[in-house]
Amino acid sequence: MSEFASAIGFGIVTAAILAVSSVGFTLQFSVTNVFNLSYGSVMTATGFIAYGLNNAGLNIWSSMAIAALGGGVISVLMNWLIFSRFIRHGLSRFGMVIVTIATGLICDNTIQAVVGPSFYSYNVPLERVHDIGGMLLTTQELIVIAIAIVLMTLTHVGLKYTRLGTAMRGLSVNSSLARASGVPTRRVVAAAWFASGVMAGIGAVALFLDTGAFGATTGSSFLIIVIAAAVLGGVGSAEGAVVGALVVGISTEIAAAYWNAELKNVVAFLILIVVLLVRPQGIFSQLSSERTAVG
Amino acid sequence: MSAATQLYLATLGTYICVNVIASWALDLQFGVTGVLNFCFIIFQSAGAYTAAVLSLGPASTSSGFQQYIVGLHLPFPVPILGAMVVGGVLAGVVGLISLRRLRSDYQAMVMLVVSVIATTVVSAQVGLFNGPAGISLVTNPMVSLIHASRQTQIWVFVAFCVACMIVVGFIMYALVYSPYGRVLRAVRENDRAIEALGRNANRHRMQVFIIGGVLAGLSGALLVEFIGAWAPNGWFYPETFVFFTAVIVGGRGSLLGVAIGAAVVGVGVQQAVEYLPITLNPSVIASLEWIITGALTLTFLWIRPQGMFPERRRRFPVPGRAAPPDFSEELSPVREAFDV
Repeated sequence: MSEFASAIGFGIVTAAILAVSSVGFTLQFSVTNVFNLSYGSVMTATGFIAYGLNNAGLNIWSSMAIAALGGGVISVLMNWLIFSRFIRHGLSRFGMVIVTIATGLICDNTIQAVVGPSFYSYNVPLERVHDIGGMLLTTQELIVIAIAIVLMTLTHVGLKYTRLGTAMRGLSVNSSLARASGVPTRRVVAAAWFASGVMAGIGAVALFLDTGAFGATTGSSFLIIVIAAAVLGGVGSAEGAVVGALVVGISTEIAAAYWNAELKNVVAFLILIVVLLVRPQGIFSQLSSERTAVG
Repeated sequence: MSAATQLYLATLGTYICVNVIASWALDLQFGVTGVLNFCFIIFQSAGAYTAAVLSLGPASTSSGFQQYIVGLHLPFPVPILGAMVVGGVLAGVVGLISLRRLRSDYQAMVMLVVSVIATTVVSAQVGLFNGPAGISLVTNPMVSLIHASRQTQIWVFVAFCVACMIVVGFIMYALVYSPYGRVLRAVRENDRAIEALGRNANRHRMQVFIIGGVLAGLSGALLVEFIGAWAPNGWFYPETFVFFTAVIVGGRGSLLGVAIGAAVVGVGVQQAVEYLPITLNPSVIASLEWIITGALTLTFLWIRPQGMFPERRRRFPVPGRAAPPDFSEELSPVREAFDV
């Protein structure tokens, strides 16, 4: 029983990290319709920014906050310098997928060339372990869960009740109608990229804290799981991403505890494929497939 | 020529043939038919592993050095044929999952995921293909038939690779420039229109997926018989991207262009980086190759999205009517070249 409870505990931590990362991924996708496969590189880059700050003596949570802002800036710059230009150049959505892969590869390998093939870890004090109904969680993991809950609530409220959120939802449903109704498209798109970069940053630092060690490709390897969670819920749906994150997080940790730790992600991927075969649009999505990219 | 130079040239020759065959296979799927096959590398890899375990003797004879399944020690053409069959069957299975009913952007996603699943499983299940260390010491069953010096054997195998490439080239030519090829291009340009004309777009996608899988299997088999080793490190999912770059740089849908693109991107970039006048850390060299590959893609998509040698646009005059007006000037060249 305690093995099961602790697997659930780990699952919730993984789900919290995944939820933040996949909401960032899916928010940007639903507004701009760019399937951003360089998201993992933004995660890695912010992870290393936080590493630099952390090494300079800042505590890990302040490093996370500053790195997250840096992630937002990187993300906006990527869109401004590369993606939006290609979209306005007339590249199709599938061309954009290739552009984002190329950008991600360039970023990852630039980071790799600078930091080398070794692995890094943050400098964090040893944590007290709390026993919550059999789930053994450190203070640090509890903070990560709390951050995830706060961010999810903020995203939900922000999308539902603010002007910017309404504009984002409008763009995601019908970009030309939104533009015709006076939504400042470029500013809203930039805001979406910024928010996505911030979440990438928070997700990355939480992930690298959780895995203990990270290198130049850790973010991009994790990206596939982020996408699995996002697609499982339905790409473009923030609530869906949370549900997807919970399913992926808990199922992988249970698989790791009872079956094979090396193959735990395969379980998540198989769930994803089965769900897509049964419900090809994902659990929550209502997006049409004919939209064009917005930049 | 010294033995080392000969080996170097033979290696270059084999790599070029293998890359050209693989890039043609991807071009048939992505360039001609418009299927974004993001797990292409696993079909090449499946072919390589199949050829390896069919060529090697039983794993028990390796005295615990490596472990793998099968180990039949089969004579010359069988391992390569087996690799093509396995490549095709695997493509059929993946195609059945991803092509049949998924939204097109999810298709690419599912293929990425399949690629990651394949690497994870092969790395974790050491009993299958010796896990992360990979299979090595694969003997080349063709070369062992020839009783000649090592040098001659190598060149005979290179000649065999060139012959394979030429045969595949003829097959590709026959496929792409035939009425069948026209249907494939129509599937790429407008799948609804072609369905309205009574062709099943998905069936054609499935067919090129399997043909491409067979050819990818062949390319993997040739490569593993030459270099004698294959490991998960060599086929992480970004590796597929090298072939995409080759197709984009060469020119989607153009056989000659893709062949040149494959030689330039798959082999040329690597050689160019190796011969840089500055001495670099080995890991930096690998990173630099990826950075150049990515930059090549972005540059070509921006400046010349139709590639070095664009696919020829054909016009078919209707008998008894004036030739159709030429609208090509009015269309944006980017949209025209990249509208999957």
